[in-house]
Amino acid sequence: MAAAFGGLLSLPSWAQHWTPETVAGSPLLSALEESTLADLAETIIPETDIPGAKSLGVPAYIQKIVNDCMDTKAQETLKNGLYTVSDLAQKSSGGKTFSGMDTNQRLNFLNQLNAGADEETKDFFKLVKSLTIRGFTTSEYFQTNINHYQLVPGFYHGCVPVSTGK
Amino acid sequence: MTILESTAANQYDAIVVGSGISGGWAAKELTKHGLRTLVLERGRDVKHVTDYPTGMMSPWEFEHRTQLPLEIKEANPIVSKCYAFYEGSTHFFVKDAEHPYVQEKPFDWIRGYQVGGKSLLWARQTQRWSDFDFEGPARDGFAVDWPIRYADIAPWYSYVEKFAGISGNKDGLPNLPDGEFQKPHEMNCVEDYFQKQIASKYKDRNVIQGRCAHLTEPKDIHFQQGRAQCQHRTICERGCPFGGYFSSNASTIPWAAKTGKMTLRPHSVVHSIIYDEKKGKATGVRVIDANTKKMTEYYARIIFVNAAALNTNLVLLNSTSNRFPNGLGNDSGVLGKYVAFHNYRATISAEYDGFLDMKTEGRRPNSPYIPRFRNVHKQETNFLRGYAAGFNAGRGTYTNQDGIGADLKKNLMNPSWGGWHVGSHMMGETIPKENSTVQLDPNKKDPFGIPQLAINMFYDDNDEKMIKDFHEQFTEMYTAAGFKNIRTRDSKQAPGLDIHEMGGVRMGKDPKTSMLNKWNQLHACKNVFVTDGASMTSTSTQNPSLTYMALTARAVDYAVKEMKKQNL
Repeated sequence: MAAAFGGLLSLPSWAQHWTPETVAGSPLLSALEESTLADLAETIIPETDIPGAKSLGVPAYIQKIVNDCMDTKAQETLKNGLYTVSDLAQKSSGGKTFSGMDTNQRLNFLNQLNAGADEETKDFFKLVKSLTIRGFTTSEYFQTNINHYQLVPGFYHGCVPVSTGK
Repeated sequence: MTILESTAANQYDAIVVGSGISGGWAAKELTKHGLRTLVLERGRDVKHVTDYPTGMMSPWEFEHRTQLPLEIKEANPIVSKCYAFYEGSTHFFVKDAEHPYVQEKPFDWIRGYQVGGKSLLWARQTQRWSDFDFEGPARDGFAVDWPIRYADIAPWYSYVEKFAGISGNKDGLPNLPDGEFQKPHEMNCVEDYFQKQIASKYKDRNVIQGRCAHLTEPKDIHFQQGRAQCQHRTICERGCPFGGYFSSNASTIPWAAKTGKMTLRPHSVVHSIIYDEKKGKATGVRVIDANTKKMTEYYARIIFVNAAALNTNLVLLNSTSNRFPNGLGNDSGVLGKYVAFHNYRATISAEYDGFLDMKTEGRRPNSPYIPRFRNVHKQETNFLRGYAAGFNAGRGTYTNQDGIGADLKKNLMNPSWGGWHVGSHMMGETIPKENSTVQLDPNKKDPFGIPQLAINMFYDDNDEKMIKDFHEQFTEMYTAAGFKNIRTRDSKQAPGLDIHEMGGVRMGKDPKTSMLNKWNQLHACKNVFVTDGASMTSTSTQNPSLTYMALTARAVDYAVKEMKKQNL
């Protein structure tokens, strides 16, 4: 009987403590797939005068969430989608990888992909885009600089004119 | 199982079983009177501040940015349903497989086994009961009459409110008595508007700011506890390093420790209460050490059972003797029966297109509250009793997420204001019934060899009618206020997810039909007191913790006086 209760008695390691530096690469993707994913995320949210997806660690976030928080169907959607992107990129650009394209080529490629693709590829694009957006907007940079998140001190003002500040 | 030799070293003046919201109060009050008090907690110790590992973490510091990993959700289908269970708080909840129980009917039993119990996790709403609640069973002919009235408990509400620190308005409502309040949280424009709309259209319905256990203007007594003003972080379920809200960990337990009279023993699973037939009273408790699985006996003149409602039932049911073959104090046969809960199934939401020039700023650990307005003064519907409700309004932001690239990024950084959303949830009184029960499963044991609790609680026709009425009445109220796109929902959630389970060791006047007298004292075993949710004769519509605190302080006061008179 004791064995039946053994599995959950200690906290999983992630509940103990975590820093951005301790995140290991995802066991889900190969190095090539990882770099394709990183360039996809960077194309969706590029570096401008403020940091983009890569600088903010969004590709690692996407892998982490898909691997740990989503089901096997989503994991397959991600892997298959990355394969499709590599495959179509090479076919449509005469042998270039997606990562080998310049920014405009990448944008055109993704817009075409999304417009004409099958359902699974559309699901893939939707998944990567939504997680890129979430990874960007939940990042420390976005939360502190754009959202002005403060842990303390907190306050609540119920009726503030929209015209006053952010 | 080995029973270790128990000696005089295991002798105390008082034993408290459980360190949650009521056990913490028992510990504080007993030690205040100089009683050497042993506090037994089945889970691990959680020290204020030190043991809140996520208490100062920003959302991006979590590995999954606070989202629960699938592995945790799949391994814990029950506790994962709880709104407060997420990456920041998993360590304060019992995992499904650790402490099994039997669901004769679906019941989501949400538990926190650690020093402080669920006082770390509670929703912190602290509405007083009134005589419209205490007189309910007698007036409407269910359960048994409460042996107390509002006047009996009112001074004790004040007593615990001052120490715990409660914020709220003095609203002057007979059905929701005022208390000892610090300044209230603000309403926003739409909440304020709804309050005025309801006041002008209904003479018996009120929208008020919730009273809650947050320090908005801490007093000297709170600084003495080492607590500071609430910082509006709204991550309370991780434990508050500021002590901004009331928990046993921040307040009563360290206060009791300061007296030098308290011995806190974590990892102590109470197996049963020892009854001495010659003495005609309880002499102590049998404790299984959660780590070694060894059993030890501890002795005391009085015992407070505050194991949380259903586990208090379990402890008493498992305390059998020749005198009490069906559980300690169970001459009436009602132990484990008439358990009840709160009906949280119904919600409603809508939109409002006014106040588009206004917004809110910051966070608020509280929301407005609508006290029960159905059947208050007399029976007027086709169901008994009624419901209270929450109300809150908020304004979301909208971002255009079309396209990809630099334009998308720019849009994400420049959200525009959406309209106002409003919502309410019901908190319905359920009727305690004889066939609504908890009992010991005859076969299944928990990892400590203690029988598992078999839970048989369910919604009845009265609850279904009340859900329908809530949807109808709130649709009418929302419509009257000009809210649009009104949507009603019935979550169909099982009992238990309300985390307001009560009863089974109910108070009453007659030993033939109740377990406890008006002092929360077992009719048939006078030195055992039950002052947690198990003691509740009926459930009312209020979040119950404040009432447990007041009942506990009152019962300790009585117990100590009885000890001085040599009656205990």
